[in-house]
Amino acid sequence: MLNLFGKPKRFCDGITRRSFLKIGALGMGGAALPEILRAEAASGVRASHKSIIMIYLPGGPPHQDTFDLKLDAPSEIRGEFKTIPTSIPGFHICEHLPRLAKIMDKVAVIRSMSDARDDHSDFMCLTGRTRTNEPPGGWPSFGSLIARVQGPVDAAIPPFMGLEPRMQHKPYNAAGPGFLGVSHRSFRPEGDCKSDMALNGLTLERLSDRRALLQSFDTMRRDADASGLMNGLDSFNEQAFGMMTSSRLLKALDFQREDRRTIERYGKGDARTHGDAAPMLNEQFLVARRLVEAGARAVTVAYGFWDYHGNNFGNARNDLPLLDQGLSALIEDLHARGLDKDVSVVVWGEFGRTPVINKDAGRDHWPRVSCALLAGGGMKTGQVIGATDRWGGEPTERPVRFGEVFATLYQNLGLDISKVTVPDLTGRPQYLVPDGCLPMKELV
Amino acid sequence: MTSAHQQPATRNRPTWTWTWSAMVASICFTGVVATAETARTDNLALEFDAASAAGAKPAMLRLKTSAARQQVLATAQGSDGFVRDLTRSVTWESSPANIVKISRSGLITPIADGEATVSARTAEGATASLKVRVEDSKAEQPINFGNQVVPIFTKLGCNAGGCHGKSGGQNGFRLSLLGFEPPEDYEHLVKESRGRRLFPAAPDQSLLLLKATGILPHGGGKRLETDSRDYQLIRRWIAQGMPYGKPEDPTVDRIEVHPVERTLRRDAQQQLVVKAIYTDGTVEDVTAGAQYDSNDKDIAQVDAAGQVKVVSRAGDAAVMVRYQSKVSVFRATIPLGIEVTKLPPSRTFVDDLVFKKLKTIGIPPSEMCDDATFLRRVSIDIAGRLPTPEETRRFLADTHPLKRDYAIDSLLESSDYADYFANKWSALLRNKRGAETQARGNFAFHGWIRDSFMENKPYNQFVSEILTASGDSTQNPPVAWYRQVRDTTSQLEDSAQLFMATRMKCAQCHHHPFERWSQQDYFSLGAFFAQVSRKGGQEPGDEFIYHKRGVAAAVNKKTNQKVKPAPLGGKPLDIASDDDPRQALADWLGAKNNPFLSKALVNRYWKHFFNRGLVEPEDDVRDTNPASNPELFNALSQHFIESGFDLKQLIRDICRSSTYQLSAVPNEHNGDDRQFFSRYYPKRLSAEVLLDAINTATESQTTFNGTQEGTRAVQLPDNSYNANSYFLTVFGRPEGTSACECERSQDASLAQSLHLLNSKDIQAKLSADGGRASKLAQDAAKPDGAKLEDLYYVVYSRAPKAEEITTATQHLGKRALGAKDDKEKTARRREAYEDILWALMSSKEFLFNH
Repeated sequence: MLNLFGKPKRFCDGITRRSFLKIGALGMGGAALPEILRAEAASGVRASHKSIIMIYLPGGPPHQDTFDLKLDAPSEIRGEFKTIPTSIPGFHICEHLPRLAKIMDKVAVIRSMSDARDDHSDFMCLTGRTRTNEPPGGWPSFGSLIARVQGPVDAAIPPFMGLEPRMQHKPYNAAGPGFLGVSHRSFRPEGDCKSDMALNGLTLERLSDRRALLQSFDTMRRDADASGLMNGLDSFNEQAFGMMTSSRLLKALDFQREDRRTIERYGKGDARTHGDAAPMLNEQFLVARRLVEAGARAVTVAYGFWDYHGNNFGNARNDLPLLDQGLSALIEDLHARGLDKDVSVVVWGEFGRTPVINKDAGRDHWPRVSCALLAGGGMKTGQVIGATDRWGGEPTERPVRFGEVFATLYQNLGLDISKVTVPDLTGRPQYLVPDGCLPMKELV
Repeated sequence: MTSAHQQPATRNRPTWTWTWSAMVASICFTGVVATAETARTDNLALEFDAASAAGAKPAMLRLKTSAARQQVLATAQGSDGFVRDLTRSVTWESSPANIVKISRSGLITPIADGEATVSARTAEGATASLKVRVEDSKAEQPINFGNQVVPIFTKLGCNAGGCHGKSGGQNGFRLSLLGFEPPEDYEHLVKESRGRRLFPAAPDQSLLLLKATGILPHGGGKRLETDSRDYQLIRRWIAQGMPYGKPEDPTVDRIEVHPVERTLRRDAQQQLVVKAIYTDGTVEDVTAGAQYDSNDKDIAQVDAAGQVKVVSRAGDAAVMVRYQSKVSVFRATIPLGIEVTKLPPSRTFVDDLVFKKLKTIGIPPSEMCDDATFLRRVSIDIAGRLPTPEETRRFLADTHPLKRDYAIDSLLESSDYADYFANKWSALLRNKRGAETQARGNFAFHGWIRDSFMENKPYNQFVSEILTASGDSTQNPPVAWYRQVRDTTSQLEDSAQLFMATRMKCAQCHHHPFERWSQQDYFSLGAFFAQVSRKGGQEPGDEFIYHKRGVAAAVNKKTNQKVKPAPLGGKPLDIASDDDPRQALADWLGAKNNPFLSKALVNRYWKHFFNRGLVEPEDDVRDTNPASNPELFNALSQHFIESGFDLKQLIRDICRSSTYQLSAVPNEHNGDDRQFFSRYYPKRLSAEVLLDAINTATESQTTFNGTQEGTRAVQLPDNSYNANSYFLTVFGRPEGTSACECERSQDASLAQSLHLLNSKDIQAKLSADGGRASKLAQDAAKPDGAKLEDLYYVVYSRAPKAEEITTATQHLGKRALGAKDDKEKTARRREAYEDILWALMSSKEFLFNH
């Protein structure tokens, strides 16, 4: 009998033994996935569904001024910041990340992300792939893949939520549903969907009148359609009405419902749009947590603007404390709520920055190495993976590909990357990650 | 197969004896046997292939050598008319017990030389038996690597694309994908890594076995038990010194599955038996080594041992069986079993064949749809628009018995037909705007496609003109296809998928796992495009496509040999250097006896009208993915060829049928049917049609930059308008990036619902001055009832029912209540009409073609 999830410890713990046996009986590989989902739905998996929160730092933050400081480098490389010790003995990080320093045992830092492209785009961070030899339609974002393969946990909550706004620099919004099609696009309450969510010139009374009218006119029998599309449409309509009035999704998006102290712990952030990218809305970290609790499987946040071609240190002094507060709050909150095994957090940008400080006290694009931060998901935290040379210019240990991080994240969701495939527009089965990318042994 | 009597048996070729004992007829069953609660079963018989099942052969089952084995089925005839597989529920016995072993699932393996009788007994006492002779049970034949070892890797998943079968292998150990290249596998296993993977002196210590059994850490986990037959075979192979086999050793010529098809009860299971027939005529039971895949897991599922289980729904399912590079299919028909007594009139050959199938499967069709539904349905499907209220009223008033046929004809003659089908084909032919400078080519290509439908150009000519296009887009618009489909690879893959319903992509790198196509076939087809060249055109963004003089050839990446152009399944062609090889391809494809072109097209069009192909997905036609109604599929294709590839005639054949004109409303039996067309399957309006329909309903317009005033969404020439239309994007208008219809998304989503129910865009259309709602509110002359009737004709293409009028009138009254003056009253009534219009447009009756 085939174990669809690889080793037993990788079991999505919501699947009961009985439904597992049922799955096993169905036979080979990815083919049986819809049945898994049905089994999952049947066994009422809800509370413990696995999920991913991705915080994308548009522009590419300076790796050597955050988690990989080179205090022994010459001054034109070294930078202005000092280090502080962390809760991992011997591991020091930037002085402007004091709260994260205290919880480094709950974090894994990768210092050797190695296959970034010199391209201001969210594509690599959201797909783990490059744009060369893309299949027709393009590579899908990780959340679209998850939405397609695992479907919604709860009909009222879209499985893939994107909290990022439509960013001015177009390539920051490059990743989309790709060949999976528009129905697997993330639901974006701050982006495309924003203007459709608030009542557009209607009173609530009139909306409820309209809804009543619709109910009496809409007499077509749903059972005329065995494909389930009519059912789906009705349920999306329900959600849409809910969104305009009140609904689980709307509630999940409303962080004000949280305890005042929790909101304060996450911090205020900065609501202004930074550069041509995104604001630094710390409450979105909180919203992301609320969404995964409500049933989202993947949530993306775009945070700030890290393309420090000038005034690298001034900018970092402003931005790092905000990130420090929000991110440390999120990680602690996940632990406090017992979600640290279920929710994986990943934080990264599209590349690192040049070792040599330029004439404007900035650092330029440096795709040869960058950092990533991981937390939760049941991963082995409290470690630093990989290393760079003494200038922070090249990985010297354990170069890590973006696809390997995705392989790890998918495994955290209970997806077997060696089996699960999704057909592209030519009918070719595509694996979730690029060839050769395996879950990182250090982390799982 | 060749006569078994004339061939020497080498493996366990089945020369066999067949005996059955009829059981005592008076036994009364009380639901003891498996799931057969009500029906009696009798005539229990043991079978393992077609001949034994037919009861046609004498002698006995012979198992020769220790490696032989045979899966046997215990089959009974149920009093309910169904043949029942009792293999897993009978009690198996062998007498004497020391000759063969028989497992609970009916697998016979030899123990010692001699003869035995294998018998099966049902709980009720019915028995059947089979004589088995075991010969040379101690003989160990030399193992052939490709025939015996590699299939184990395939069955265990070692060489799957996610593991060692991917191009780079896994952790340094590489196998050919699905075992298609045994010589490479041999190379990797035996010779790579300084031979450490295999250890003939102590076979159990071979890395291969230690990893596979999980004794040493293995990323893929434990795959093999040490006491399993597969383990023992690999072990023996290593102990024998890892023979590759002799060049003259036979290879698998084909596989046969037994039974080939069977009609099953909705609670049934069916064990399959698969035999491999070798090039020397010998036969081997490979049931345990084969792989199984069901094409419709809602109907039937199959496990790794080849046992098919019916899920409970009526329908057809095909189980694809694969062994090495060979494929075969078992077809299960699970009838609903309702007696079909009342059928609509059979109007065309389509009806004859659809109704024939419905009778066999026992699904009674729905009623015929009414006239209003028909006109709306056919107008959307042929012309991509709602019927006008005038058309509807005229049609409803018409009493001519052939008025539906006439409506079809008049739609086909309208330019709307050409617009709508040009819209469909423009995306498939990838008329995509890469840059603004390409607009000229986009417009020209779209215009050419549209004209082709307008003049009803024969389809084979249409395809030929695209494939052989030379020149630039002003002289010859279809060259635009080559602008998007740029390299040989995509030219051959796109044309195969689009015009031949054959997916070739897999065969670029390896033998196609579900198909007969090899890399040789792939590159031979690609060679037709080898001489396609391009240079800059007269205008920026234009390109000039031409045949570069030279003998067309491609290089087979596998063998590094040059290959000549050869059509799929055809012989290599010698084409002179001055001749454009694409012409030869188009001539082959467009010939009346071409097996691909017409099937691909009729299936595509069938799906256009019925929302489901006879084969699904519509561009993946192959032996292992059979049509739900093969007779109909053939007949449609034949008619299409005989009509001279006349697309309008095909549409007439489809739309005139009663089948197309069935109601979407299910009766008490056919609600679950989604294979046999016992009713019309509703489909959501496409993005373009929906946007146009909303504009019609609200009397508003959407303006598309750079197009003529009044251009409708279905008339847009290319994808470039999507970027500025959230509506078209969110409702899934394709971008022309692939040759697949699936790029057009017809799924529902929350973002769509929100947009439709609550966007500024739609709200502006509803409340526009001079829009439908404002006009209705201001028209003081007409009573509300009449206005609402007009509105229903516009939006739903039918007359309203009394209660619908009442609901709407009440809403009008309620909103106007308490208005201070006439002005406010009109304003409020206008709002009320907006609400009504909104509700109508948000309903499924509007959003779906039904």
